[in-house]
Amino acid sequence: MLAKHFVLSLALTFFSVSSFADVVVIVHPSNSATLSAKNVQRIFLGKEKKFPDGKETIPVNQISDAAPRGTFDSNVLGRSTTQVSAYWSKLVFTGKGIPPKEVDNDSAMIEIVANNPNAIGYIDSSAVNSSVKVIPVN
Amino acid sequence: MKTIKTLIALACAASFTANAEVRINGFANLVAGMTSSDDSLYGYDDKISFSEESLFAIQISGDVNDKVTATGQLVARGSDDYDPDFEWAYLTYQATDNLSISAGRLRLPLFRYSSSLDVGYSYHWVAPPESVYDVAFNNLDGIRLDYSNYAGDWEYNIQLAAGTYENENDVFVIEGKDVLAATVEATYEYFKVRAVIGRSKSTFSVFQLEPVFAQLEQVLPPGLFGNLQSDNDTGQFIGLGLEVDKFDWFISGEITSVDTPDTYIKEDIAYYVTAGMRVGKFTPSITYQVKESDDDPKFVDQISQLPVALQAQLYGVQSLFDDDETTITLGLRYDYDTNIALKADVTKLEDDLNEANDATLVRFAVNYVF
Repeated sequence: MLAKHFVLSLALTFFSVSSFADVVVIVHPSNSATLSAKNVQRIFLGKEKKFPDGKETIPVNQISDAAPRGTFDSNVLGRSTTQVSAYWSKLVFTGKGIPPKEVDNDSAMIEIVANNPNAIGYIDSSAVNSSVKVIPVN
Repeated sequence: MKTIKTLIALACAASFTANAEVRINGFANLVAGMTSSDDSLYGYDDKISFSEESLFAIQISGDVNDKVTATGQLVARGSDDYDPDFEWAYLTYQATDNLSISAGRLRLPLFRYSSSLDVGYSYHWVAPPESVYDVAFNNLDGIRLDYSNYAGDWEYNIQLAAGTYENENDVFVIEGKDVLAATVEATYEYFKVRAVIGRSKSTFSVFQLEPVFAQLEQVLPPGLFGNLQSDNDTGQFIGLGLEVDKFDWFISGEITSVDTPDTYIKEDIAYYVTAGMRVGKFTPSITYQVKESDDDPKFVDQISQLPVALQAQLYGVQSLFDDDETTITLGLRYDYDTNIALKADVTKLEDDLNEANDATLVRFAVNYVF
């Protein structure tokens, strides 16, 4: 009975994610990089540190309570936010990596990405404006 | 003490550079456990204890310059009266995006979860499977190379470590020299494979056995005594790990062999298989562990020429560290928050050599990272 309840709530979570949230990856307008989903995944997991043109990447996350974060983690990173933080705790406490800086919401994300040619982040598609560039992720 | 001073000096040096950033992170495990009546397991007995596996740790790391980072980890273990100790203190030189070189006191990469052994939050168990992970030493004073890269869709990581280790507690002291360890890990989407091979020249002494060995030295031919005694003997460690993680469920395992031929201790083979599901915030799992030493006594040709009573004593000494046990653990992890996990598990151990060691243990844990 309990298990059934979890499965149901899980199904509802997925439903709400796919129907309401549409998260897009954004970079500075001067950045002409084309990235695959795998590139984005590797950048946000600290495995790739450069854009294809050799420029250093600065990934920026939203805080775990922000809606786009959960969508991004499950759709692009293929893990829950908890698992992503477990992944980073492993790297942090072995001196192998530093997790991306976190911002509170879409507008803070836009501000940071608009002002930093190396930054890469994500926001809800409804929040996009001309100060940042949306890059298609294949 | 010396490491602490070095570290403070490094931290200060780091803080004076213009773009210096000192990062402070920490983690804590609060683990409570108790066994069924009159049993004991992993240090627990039938009265609840909070100190066996609980620990608090602070990690400080600072950028010395663009390429060099200093890291220190101060750990206070309940089993050690929460007496804080710098378990790790090392410098890392990021040579390229793919290669880093660390030197100092660092974790020896023996197992899949070696590097995050103390960070309970990073795995689904209350503690990594003891049959495999319970080795006499975990830290290395030396140097480690970490190389990672991609080959198509395969992602791989190579670690080479060299140095010395030393560990002393109330029961034994172990020292290792000329330690060399090589690890290769390769990941392809949900599949991961890992292999490790290591060797060292080790000297292992159990305090209670010292009089026994002193006496044996008097009566045994020097060749045989040298074979039995652990004194700067070459030991070998081999490990293999596999993992399939499909997010909704996972299954993984590791198998290891620890063998030092020229000592009285027999080869030990240990493995575990663990499987679990991720259902929302819950991760129920089951883990099956086996630890078994070689059944055959060592140096039989030499020993069989001795008086029968002495033979029996020597075979007795050889069997002191014999293992033949299986363990089953049922565990549950609940992700309370993105930095807090709550866990509970029940572990049942069966010892085929000595039924008196059979035990059932219940543990609860809170893991926290910041």
